[in-house]
Amino acid sequence: MANPLRLPMVPRALRNLVSKPATRRYPYEIRPRFEGARGTIEFDVDTCNYCMLCMRRCPAAAITVSREDRIWAIEHLTCIGCNVCVEVCAKKSLTMSKESKPVHTHAEVGPHGERPGHEEWHKEETQAAEPAVQAAPAVGGASPV
Amino acid sequence: MKRTVVPFGPQHPVLPEPLVLDLILEDEKVLDAIPTIGYIHRGLEMMVERVEYTEMGFVVERICGICSFMHGMGYCVSLETIMNIEIPERAAWLRLIWAEISRIQSHLLWLGLGADAFGFENLFMHCWRMREQILDIFEKTTGGRIIHSVNRIGGVKRDMSDTELAAILVQLQDLGKQFKKTANVFGTDPSIAHRLGGVGVLSMEDARAVDCVGPMARASGIATDTRLIGANYYDRIELEPVVETAGDCLARVVVRMREIDQSIDIIRQAIDKMPKGEGMPLETKPRGNPMGEVFTRLEQPRGEVLYYVKANGTKNLERFRARTPTFANIPAMIKLVKGCELADVPNIILTIDPCISCTER
Repeated sequence: MANPLRLPMVPRALRNLVSKPATRRYPYEIRPRFEGARGTIEFDVDTCNYCMLCMRRCPAAAITVSREDRIWAIEHLTCIGCNVCVEVCAKKSLTMSKESKPVHTHAEVGPHGERPGHEEWHKEETQAAEPAVQAAPAVGGASPV
Repeated sequence: MKRTVVPFGPQHPVLPEPLVLDLILEDEKVLDAIPTIGYIHRGLEMMVERVEYTEMGFVVERICGICSFMHGMGYCVSLETIMNIEIPERAAWLRLIWAEISRIQSHLLWLGLGADAFGFENLFMHCWRMREQILDIFEKTTGGRIIHSVNRIGGVKRDMSDTELAAILVQLQDLGKQFKKTANVFGTDPSIAHRLGGVGVLSMEDARAVDCVGPMARASGIATDTRLIGANYYDRIELEPVVETAGDCLARVVVRMREIDQSIDIIRQAIDKMPKGEGMPLETKPRGNPMGEVFTRLEQPRGEVLYYVKANGTKNLERFRARTPTFANIPAMIKLVKGCELADVPNIILTIDPCISCTER
């Protein structure tokens, strides 16, 4: 049996009295994410040619692409951030931002009928560059998730 | 004397995951324990039938959050063996380095949980503070803290520059020095020695009889380590299995503590031996669909894991099966729990390092 007077935690405890805390005051002090961290998928509607490769390769089936209707949509709550769509995109329309977007975790239909985490872009064929329409009504009618 | 049945779990302060043990007690002594698993079965193995084999790697990674890197690696190694793919040298070394970093992460996590279970909450926080540095390394190098998604069939997706590798090594060696002070607490504190020493003793013969794997077997004096078979570039590393002979709960703690130092040394050797330079090939693209079947063995932080993959020449595999180390260690846990005091049950269960998500998939 070891000597009962040995108290190996004491030096550490004394140092803790004078050292800075190891934690951050989280909501007020946020550590920036590292370069190359995988956060949220970002989409550039102008360069996309609707090849549907990202939709076919997505392991989580989070991406829906419709070539006829010129619609590109992603469910951020289904996306697993594996980076595969970014790797396969030939037109470099997809990028992975290092910041994670705050997502709605409650299943609630918003005032415009949007679904939580659903993001959709629509490109008119006559217009070359349409600004991104975010959180538009879902294709098949808005429904609570 | 009247017998009592005390359900242990599925919700219990020492269990991070649901496991049920029906303890049959006579007074405070445990006579028998009946385990029940199946609370978090997700049917991930069944998913091979509808997920393409190239995408299944992401599913396999999600079997467990702590061993996610090695699950992904095991799946990719299995497919590479079936498809006869030789992965680039640097990719193999990077895999080895990440695997060892994830071992350090897992052991630190477990030491923290163990400290919390025997009442040392402060020690738990120190272990997890150190683990946070490892998670930062993972986020910097792979892009994810827990789910790394760097393994692809045929190689890895990301490279680490040589300066980055050198910086990681310095950081890990610094962490090793910090950890020595914490390890000192585990090794010398009289109340820890009293709580864990001589509790749950598994003799070498018993450990062989119930087929223990990993640190559990090594704490009972069996020098078994799947890394010694030399696959995945481990043959180029000087490696001695960490063996303790006491076989009690304290020995299992000590084995895991020494393995952290060993992993840091393996990473140092790997960084020395790997080919240097920028822009080296990291991936061999797989061609066609796999055909054949294979068993792959890896040494996970918890012990030997076994993957069985059967492919039939289509995009979907026919069968995928993972026999995880916790599953192999459950018989030993039942053996240890029988005859012990009720108050020792949490420590005994925790020292097998149960990972129920892995076991149930």
